[in-house]
Amino acid sequence: MDTTVFLQLLLPGFTTGCIYALVALGFVLCANVSGVVNFAQGEFVMLGGMAAAWLIGLGVPFAVAILAATALGAVAGAAQEVLTLAPVRRQPHFIQITTTVGFAVVLRGVTLIVAGKDALSVPGFSGDGVFFLFGAILPVPSLWVWSATVLLLVGTFGFLRYTSTGRAVRACAINLQAARLMGVNAERLRVIVFAVSGATGALAGVVITPIVLASWDAGLSYSTKGFIGAIIGGFRSPSAAVGAGLFIGLLEALSAGYVSSGWKDFIVYGVLMAWLLLQGGVFLRGRVDATVGGP
Amino acid sequence: MSHKSAIATVAFLVAVLLYPLCFPDSYHLGVGISAGAMAVSTVGVVLLLGLAHQLAIGQAAFSMIGGYANAILCVRYGWDPFVAMVAGALLAMLLAYAIAPPLLKLRGFVLAMATLALHLMLIVVAVQVDFTGGPMGVTGIPKFAVFGLPLSDDRSFFWFIWLLVFVAVWVGLRIDHSAIGRALRAIAASEQAAGSVGIDITRHKVQMFVIGGGMASISGSLLVHYLRATDPTVFGFGYSINLITGTIIGGLTSIWGGALGAAIIIFLRELLRELELPLWESVIMGALTVLVLIAFPRGIAGFVSRIYDRVVGGDAPQRVVVTEPGAVALPTVSDPPTLVLDGVSRSFGSLRAVSGVGFTVPAGSITALIGPNGAGKTTLFGLISGHLRLDAGVVRFDGLEIQTLQPRDVARLGIGRTFQNLQLFDNMTVLQNVMCGHHRFGGAGAEQTARDALAFVGLQGAENHDPASLPFGHQRLVEIARALALRPRMLMMDEPASGLNDAETERLSELIVRVAALGVTVLLVEHDMRLVMGLADHVVVMDHGEKIAEGAPEPVRSDPGVIAAYLGQEIPARAA
Repeated sequence: MDTTVFLQLLLPGFTTGCIYALVALGFVLCANVSGVVNFAQGEFVMLGGMAAAWLIGLGVPFAVAILAATALGAVAGAAQEVLTLAPVRRQPHFIQITTTVGFAVVLRGVTLIVAGKDALSVPGFSGDGVFFLFGAILPVPSLWVWSATVLLLVGTFGFLRYTSTGRAVRACAINLQAARLMGVNAERLRVIVFAVSGATGALAGVVITPIVLASWDAGLSYSTKGFIGAIIGGFRSPSAAVGAGLFIGLLEALSAGYVSSGWKDFIVYGVLMAWLLLQGGVFLRGRVDATVGGP
Repeated sequence: MSHKSAIATVAFLVAVLLYPLCFPDSYHLGVGISAGAMAVSTVGVVLLLGLAHQLAIGQAAFSMIGGYANAILCVRYGWDPFVAMVAGALLAMLLAYAIAPPLLKLRGFVLAMATLALHLMLIVVAVQVDFTGGPMGVTGIPKFAVFGLPLSDDRSFFWFIWLLVFVAVWVGLRIDHSAIGRALRAIAASEQAAGSVGIDITRHKVQMFVIGGGMASISGSLLVHYLRATDPTVFGFGYSINLITGTIIGGLTSIWGGALGAAIIIFLRELLRELELPLWESVIMGALTVLVLIAFPRGIAGFVSRIYDRVVGGDAPQRVVVTEPGAVALPTVSDPPTLVLDGVSRSFGSLRAVSGVGFTVPAGSITALIGPNGAGKTTLFGLISGHLRLDAGVVRFDGLEIQTLQPRDVARLGIGRTFQNLQLFDNMTVLQNVMCGHHRFGGAGAEQTARDALAFVGLQGAENHDPASLPFGHQRLVEIARALALRPRMLMMDEPASGLNDAETERLSELIVRVAALGVTVLLVEHDMRLVMGLADHVVVMDHGEKIAEGAPEPVRSDPGVIAAYLGQEIPARAA
């Protein structure tokens, strides 16, 4: 196998993998504080990319557009929790999940109306040049994606480890009921976590847009890929989710390179199905049914 | 058939007969045809999502199979459309049957993702493979025909499609009102409790997945014969979302609601097109989904049904008339069974919750398993009922080894159980809850058995209540009645007195005595010594996962080891 070709496939896969990792992280954080898997997670990425591209297209300076798009993601996340999830908290679990699907569809629809059907592009924030790494040619905006991912991961893990709010999030992840009895304000925490994961997703969407076009219907793909990362990561550990998200990015890129770009989604979803069927069918053939996936 | 069903049927038939006469132009007929095609599959969504709460959001995958099967069979091989439709449905059902058992072990969002992934994989295949026509799809699909008899004009096709909707609704209603329908609701409310009355959870989920897949496939077939062409975008993610949105708007818990919702979705979409706002479709569908779920979780059908109840009176619940219990005689057990445990152990990580426990529950006895909190009683209980798997040991019920059985099979042997934390089905009335207990005998006679069981525990008059509206003590009785409807040979009760006041505890112990008098062997887990000592003829004491005493109540009560376990701990206030 030619190493340069391999790296030329692998490194861009690492870049998309960064985005999936951030989406997977958002999934895990939201699920742990609210018990709900947020199918709108990938739509935040789409929203951030579209908002930034749209604003830059209007002539808004880069820095302002980036900040505004990130803020929009935070607002969308908080609004989702307050307006759509809080009212159905006492409903059966599947209704809460369906509500997040509905919200995802609304975000797609609003973006479609505001920004239109066409995919938007933006120039790289520090030029559209290329650079060489281990013989592979990469676009300069990749560096933005990598740095933003490192920044967001360090920020999130620092938040989880060193702030009292972050510790409360971790407590909720271990035992929601016990955390509430210890005085954790779960309602407030949910809003914070949804806002943070909205902002994280949106910023991820902003930095990836110079590499792949932003489009109103791109969110579903980010959701499913990030979700696969979160599932394979086990849905408990944020770091495992990040690792699995990166893995999905690499798998996708290698499938596209060595098989065909048309079949890459088939391979990624196929890996998920195989994983799930093995989990449900073989590994957990115990006396009690597998309980993957919450109540 | 209830009044509501009769009214719905008449309204449906009138609407379907009159619509083509009132709107004979091809545009309106086409809208009606699309609505009918979708309605066939939303009925399946109600069964799977509305009744069983299985969030399979990739149902369009099966529509896609039906659609493409018809396109390919009719265009390339010249099959008769009706035959191709049946073949497509069989193909979809076969696929559903093949993947369902492992898939439906997954729950909640993981199931949602798995079904979505399946759908997205099929889309890739449709785009990539030449056989399916690639991104351009298949064109030149003939109009629908039945065994060579073409439904050449849209009006006859409209009536044919809505006839199929009627058949789908009829099938759905039959399922909904049968023991399977109750089983599905039970699964939705509590899989643990469903298993405890002998419901085969996987089997019923698979049944609904297969039936829903068949309905979705037929719906896809009908749609491509109307469109006369198909391509991968016809059955995209939006199609799945429309199926779910339609079902939610129409009414998740009502078969009629599913059909109604499909019609509403299609007409709404056409309205938006006419208003030249097609881009708004996504926003409005999404917003409607969220709003209906928040404001009317039971959709339009639930709303209309409630209005009807308010106007006509409906079956409004009467006040609870607690008759003196004992007015009915339940069938007696002629050969009370014996339960024997030998060397039963179970660890959770390094914690040995139950360690080498062996004892006998004598036939026809009231045996109490007692011990302080954390003694391992509830774990042991779960090991017997099949909810937990043991690491070592043997459990024999009338000589039969049952330690490897699933809860449903334990229940089918005639072992009923109640739960420490009540596990009533909150989506059914009290009567239906108790009828679920009869599941192992099928649907016939369920209602009479349930009424008798309710009368036996002293809850006559509570039949039509929502169980959550009853006082806590009565809810416990409902659970006992449900276990009695199983016609148990042995009844296992997990801390039945917890949360009851003194008067209720008194009535409970009378009830237990009457159950034992039927010849039912009773195994009681309690930590309340007072209740146990007056009631039991055989007592087993556990502490720290081990059996520390066994025998008649009096000697056990004065056993120094037992006294130490109950009193000799750091917290003296724990004395019972």
